[in-house]
Amino acid sequence: MKKIAIEHLARVEGNGGVTATIDGRLVTDVKFFVNEGPRLVERLVLGKTPEEDVNLVPRICAICSVSHKYAAIRALENALGVKVSAKVTLLRELMLLGEMIESHSLHVYFLALPDYLGFPSAVAMASKYSFETKIALEMKQFGNHIMKTVSGRFIHGENPVIGGFGKYPSRKEFVWIRNRAIQFMPFALKTAKLFAEVNYPNCPEAGTIFSCLNPDQEKFGFVGDEILLSTGEKISVKDYRDLTNEFLVSHSTCKRSHYKGKPYSVGALARINNLGERLEAEAGKMYKKYFNSHWKKNPLYNNAAQGLEILYSFERIPQVIDELLKLPDPPLVKYTKKEGKGAGAVEAPRGTLFDCYEVSGGRIAFADIVTPTAQNAEDIERYCYLAAQKLLEEGQEDKVKERMDLVVRSFDPCISCSVHMVQVKKATEEDWKEKLASLIKSESVVFVGLGKENHGDDGAGRELALRLREQGVKDVWLEEEIEDSFWEKNFPQPLIFIDAVCFGENPGKIALLPLQYVLWNSVSSHRLSLFLRNSLNYDQINNSFVLGIQPGLIEEGKGISRSVSQALQKILDEIKNYD
Amino acid sequence: MEKEKLKIGIYELTGCAGDALLILDCEEELINIFKAADIESFLMAKSDNVDGELDVALVEGSVTTEKEREIILDIRQRSKIVVAIGICSCFGGIQAAFLEEKDWKENFKEVYGATKMTHIQPLQSKPIDEYIKVDYYLPGCPIGKEQFLSTFTHILAGNPPDLYRFPVCVECKWNENDCLLNKDIFCLGPLTLAGCNSVCINYNLPCVGCWGPSEDGNRTSEFSLLLEKGFDHELIKQKMANFSGTRFSEFLATLKGAKK
Repeated sequence: MKKIAIEHLARVEGNGGVTATIDGRLVTDVKFFVNEGPRLVERLVLGKTPEEDVNLVPRICAICSVSHKYAAIRALENALGVKVSAKVTLLRELMLLGEMIESHSLHVYFLALPDYLGFPSAVAMASKYSFETKIALEMKQFGNHIMKTVSGRFIHGENPVIGGFGKYPSRKEFVWIRNRAIQFMPFALKTAKLFAEVNYPNCPEAGTIFSCLNPDQEKFGFVGDEILLSTGEKISVKDYRDLTNEFLVSHSTCKRSHYKGKPYSVGALARINNLGERLEAEAGKMYKKYFNSHWKKNPLYNNAAQGLEILYSFERIPQVIDELLKLPDPPLVKYTKKEGKGAGAVEAPRGTLFDCYEVSGGRIAFADIVTPTAQNAEDIERYCYLAAQKLLEEGQEDKVKERMDLVVRSFDPCISCSVHMVQVKKATEEDWKEKLASLIKSESVVFVGLGKENHGDDGAGRELALRLREQGVKDVWLEEEIEDSFWEKNFPQPLIFIDAVCFGENPGKIALLPLQYVLWNSVSSHRLSLFLRNSLNYDQINNSFVLGIQPGLIEEGKGISRSVSQALQKILDEIKNYD
Repeated sequence: MEKEKLKIGIYELTGCAGDALLILDCEEELINIFKAADIESFLMAKSDNVDGELDVALVEGSVTTEKEREIILDIRQRSKIVVAIGICSCFGGIQAAFLEEKDWKENFKEVYGATKMTHIQPLQSKPIDEYIKVDYYLPGCPIGKEQFLSTFTHILAGNPPDLYRFPVCVECKWNENDCLLNKDIFCLGPLTLAGCNSVCINYNLPCVGCWGPSEDGNRTSEFSLLLEKGFDHELIKQKMANFSGTRFSEFLATLKGAKK
């Protein structure tokens, strides 16, 4: 079994990875996992005061600590009916712009760019690109400086609190930040251009749903009370559960999300896709110049989107500060409410972050936090799979690990949010046997044989199903027997579809694949895809498999070829063993 | 002839990665750090990591999985000096909130339900010295830049680090802040270890206790002072326990009159 492991995905924040299992020209398994130990943050804040919660939850992730603080404050202010003045909102925006600059410039220059230039680390890159590295470092430092000035520290500053700020920066500090932002404009422009012009590989490419917050007044920005999807749908933040639908998988500590049964993406690329038209000035010009169809389907363009957002942030800072300078420092808003429920969200650098609390008797009674990486996890896995499968089909197995590394890193996964790692395993001839055995042994399964009789190897699935029945296996169905009543049964146990599937391998090759991979259209089984669309719910799709046999000849009036017959016998013998 | 450089490894166990990030945030000094020592392993900063014999291992985060327990034992075995960095590594951090195993198990079940984890074997969060001998402790949430640079250079020079043992109040006085307790604001400064330059109080906000319990001073008297001010006994304990996790119960045991 060959397993490509990107275990300890270096240069991403936190602890997780991806493993891919390869069987000949097939990817049979891809898993994005988070090895981070469980921290139970949503539980440990129960019984604490709202103020303590705001101290504690940013510790989920240092790199997004400002976003975590801001999302918690928004949710709790909604719950407790706290209304803050324009100066507070603007200053919170400034700290978030600082975090965007810090996080994005760290990611694009120091974590992603070495990949595209072929260096193992930013430090190694620094010797050849000393000017770029130096200015990029200054840019990141400037982001840090804003966060420190506004929040009190580089990381986990406590100055932003429910009701406002403990202290406001001085006029001198504001003016310094404003002028420094203007000085950075040539480099911000260069950054946007550099990452828009990187020659990103065309693989993987596949559409997805993009989700981000919808800022008020049709503006570009990072805060809103409504979720906007690339499908055009809008969801109020208080109904965020309609979008996020969190669920657990056994191979990761990080929860997962899907929207109406489909994976979706959040982050800079989602924001540029959904809101890019709203960008003004230089960022607007850059968007018009560079945005094209690749941005809609290739996650690697997230680096380009981050470049655009760096430029947007530098253009926005002087506007925010000009407003801030006009307003007096408001006192902290005191509140008396001890009961309430509320949700709040902000766009963290890597995507939408939702917080929801219930306060009872002045203490936290319920907490729910949905992080961007939890929402991106499904798409990270899907795009890794698509990239690996495409490369194998092109005979470029040697590039699989490197490409998956690029894909995972492009999502800028904040693994503390719950991720370091890509593993590629090579499956042996026996891999499908082990998987089939564990499936059949752990629970009852339903077999569905697909294909037509007298069509050569196309009849392989049907033939195997018939022979399983002869062997006395229960719950075996044939394609022609499937009617509405079958779907209405909503089988909770795994469905195993047996079908002739073209893997581009020698006739008779057997593989057991998650059903999802066939639906992602990478492995050709048009029969199955047509047959299944819309008939299974998300959980069933996740819990179902395809037992595929590479056909030889498919021709009307012919029987099943010798090599496929032998494969069918192998499967039958295997299943017989389990009884 | 140039002196042989020390071999350093920077590791992250479970936590927010804030301490490793803070090291990255030492932007100007970072190049010099990479020049002054051989950074053999630093996952957040580079890909070509080697896990061999080390002079110094800096370890962030608490041990929360069986794998991490193995990692920390391995790090100890191949390192001459182990430094716990950040409050999670030193004291267990926020995730060590459930001190009783039973509590932790119940809460774990509430979050993860019946889903069986195949990728990790979770453990109740513990500071690293539950498993190995730690040579130095650099607390903070996250660690402070000045303290880190001072500790790092002391160790590079072959000297023990010079860390504060007194409470935040001392730094707060150096900064000439008005005492928040005098304004009846509930501040944990008297009980919390210094090193943050009294940052929260500099911002007119009370100390939240993120450096863990102070080692010096008359702790019982400080605790009584908070009680005399009329702050709730349980709330003081709750707030102190937020960050200092596992160490808090030991700290509490040294306080007369703090236990009920």
